[in-house]
Amino acid sequence: MPQGYVLGVGKTRFGPTSKSLPALAQEAIIAALGDAGLTVGDIDAFIVANYLGGPNEGRLHLNSVVAGLMPGTHLPGWRVEAACASGGVAVHDALLSLSRYGTVLVVGVERMSGIPGMQLTRNIGMAGDLDLDQGAGLNFPASYALVAQRHMDAFGTTTRDLELVSLKNHDNARLNPLAHFYHKTVTQADIDAGVMVASPLRLFDCCPVSDGAAAVVISGASRGDRSIPILGSGLSTDAISLSQRTVHTSFIAARNAAASAYEQASVSASDVDFVEVHDCFTIAEVVAMEDLGLCSPGEATRLIRDGVTSRDGALPVNASGGLKAGGHAIGATGVGQVYEVVKQLRGEAGDRQLAKARIGLTHNVGGVGGTCAVHVLGSAS
Amino acid sequence: MSHWVCHSCGARYGYALERCTHCDVALTELESSSGTVIAVTEVSVPSVGHEDAPYYCALLEDEDGSSLIVKLSRPVIVGQHVTVGVPDEAERIVVGVLGTGIMGKGLVELLMGSGYDVVWVGRSQPSIDAARKKLLERLGRVMDEGELGERLDRLDAGIRMDGLHECDLVIEAIVEELEPKKEWLRVAEQAMRAEAILATNTSGLPLDELAAVLEHPERFGCLHFFNPATRMKLVEVSSPDTTSAQTRERLEAFARALGKVPVTVKSRPAFVVNRVLMPLINEAVRSLEEEAASAEQIDEAIRLGLNHPMGPLELADLIGLDVVVDIMDNLVERTGDGIYAPRPMLRTLVGQGHLGRKTSRGFYDHSAPRA
Repeated sequence: MPQGYVLGVGKTRFGPTSKSLPALAQEAIIAALGDAGLTVGDIDAFIVANYLGGPNEGRLHLNSVVAGLMPGTHLPGWRVEAACASGGVAVHDALLSLSRYGTVLVVGVERMSGIPGMQLTRNIGMAGDLDLDQGAGLNFPASYALVAQRHMDAFGTTTRDLELVSLKNHDNARLNPLAHFYHKTVTQADIDAGVMVASPLRLFDCCPVSDGAAAVVISGASRGDRSIPILGSGLSTDAISLSQRTVHTSFIAARNAAASAYEQASVSASDVDFVEVHDCFTIAEVVAMEDLGLCSPGEATRLIRDGVTSRDGALPVNASGGLKAGGHAIGATGVGQVYEVVKQLRGEAGDRQLAKARIGLTHNVGGVGGTCAVHVLGSAS
Repeated sequence: MSHWVCHSCGARYGYALERCTHCDVALTELESSSGTVIAVTEVSVPSVGHEDAPYYCALLEDEDGSSLIVKLSRPVIVGQHVTVGVPDEAERIVVGVLGTGIMGKGLVELLMGSGYDVVWVGRSQPSIDAARKKLLERLGRVMDEGELGERLDRLDAGIRMDGLHECDLVIEAIVEELEPKKEWLRVAEQAMRAEAILATNTSGLPLDELAAVLEHPERFGCLHFFNPATRMKLVEVSSPDTTSAQTRERLEAFARALGKVPVTVKSRPAFVVNRVLMPLINEAVRSLEEEAASAEQIDEAIRLGLNHPMGPLELADLIGLDVVVDIMDNLVERTGDGIYAPRPMLRTLVGQGHLGRKTSRGFYDHSAPRA
């Protein structure tokens, strides 16, 4: 039995914009309600996913900000923060809340533009432990750089493998009008010219920081053949710092979340047709595929080299462009992944529509594997 | 670098906790001061708090399988054994501070906050008592009574130089005048152990002349901290030609161990920061004299127009106008260039005893809270 149904989805373009955080959230909410054929009056509760409103803009108490976008409703509403997994955790939370509320709106929103780079790097780094990571200068790219180094040591993964992930996702984003890099063709020459960020990760191994919002309307009951069932929802956590773990080539939280979601959905990894994974860095896509059980540890690179994860491959990964090229509007990202999978499962993904899309999966990670939310979605019956 | 381990269930914690969440028994602290590099990245992007990119972050594994992440200024390779954090020797390092002025107090606060044993020497009992009282007030804002008591056990504040014998490093931070500094440095050196290092916190007096009064100039250099010492990241590290390479390295390492970013500068009048700052302050005073704008307006214009966090006049008040005048006079003397001469208004204020924040009045009235 499905955990709930996605009645409607909406998403802004991910990328730099002058639009304010409330304006972005509203744009996604209106789109999702319109897509569901509902109005604000049909909503029983709402959840806001956001990560850096406080540090970046001095904006907190965002559930109340969003309440101001639905004047006069006085709905129960709350905010979820789990770093880059805020959106995925909010969707998980929405499913749990269906025991009390009939129809729940989830909106993820983030504004990153206009914050000086050094400050933004520090703020994003707050997803790492204050003392164990931040104090040691381990910013976000550096965390994943260590994972990449460990993965290279353990499995012979190469920087070329990482480049292939980047090229594929940039290629996919060219078919996604809401992607951060929809308008930008990225070639091998661009990748070669990319500066080193944290070795071995270079500029094009890193996702951009994006503004944006995404919203989904979730209900315990289907409203017809455009309602997409969420078959499984898994959430798991781990200690925040790599220094608190013994495994550095895999995220146990992601493995656990996947296992939990598969079990709930009564499917296995081999049943999944396509996935949207949390590729905040190219290495993260490699690790994600292995953590989701789509291949054995160390095998992801072979699938990438063989084109299996391309749009026309047997297991398309990040057909939207992923975070890498689709953009990473942090609090909105996990919600945006659900948007994308719903679009594919409905056959509404336009130019990037996949041939086979009956079971799709989202994989949303906070920090360097400290939180992971996995959702398995199926086709409307 | 430590882990806290539960001997009952084996759980490991990365935080200084007292009890195990599972078993509610006391945890044991396991210190790891070294480990083998299992991954390393060169971080090329700076961030707030880590402006010193490029630097290296290494993931280490110690003998009992615990991981730790360390920041390094030099490259290392996987498999290399690395000793981390404040070295053992430096961990129990005792630091002497001479002087009870703004920088003396700031340095003692910084050192005590960083867990060092401190020997603090003032010129008179009343001055050291007053400074100690102020220090307690400041530390009391960030520590509870127990913690404060523990730290105070590690502070020896007085007027005798004898205690400097315990010190591995002594920082002189007395009045910014050549002769008194020479005298204090000379006397301090007599009280210190042979292998200890002596540093001056001068903001740019000639280091050669200071070194000349010492028996062991090879163990003497300059650590120029900025006010407030607890918050400002920069340390200008300078040394006369007589300083040994080992002393230079130890001075830089000490600055880093305090979480500061050392920038090595040659011994030129006022080094770099003050050399650039003093003309800025002087021109701001000139603008005030010419009634171009009020002090508030001048500061606001510089804050917004040059993106400085503070305007030059409020900064001068913070530094102390007497110190500003001393530095400027010294610059004139040493460069022979009258362009550095303090503006008349600066001299007038100093003559009237209006030295800035410390006397509650300078370019601004600091006696009442500002809007």
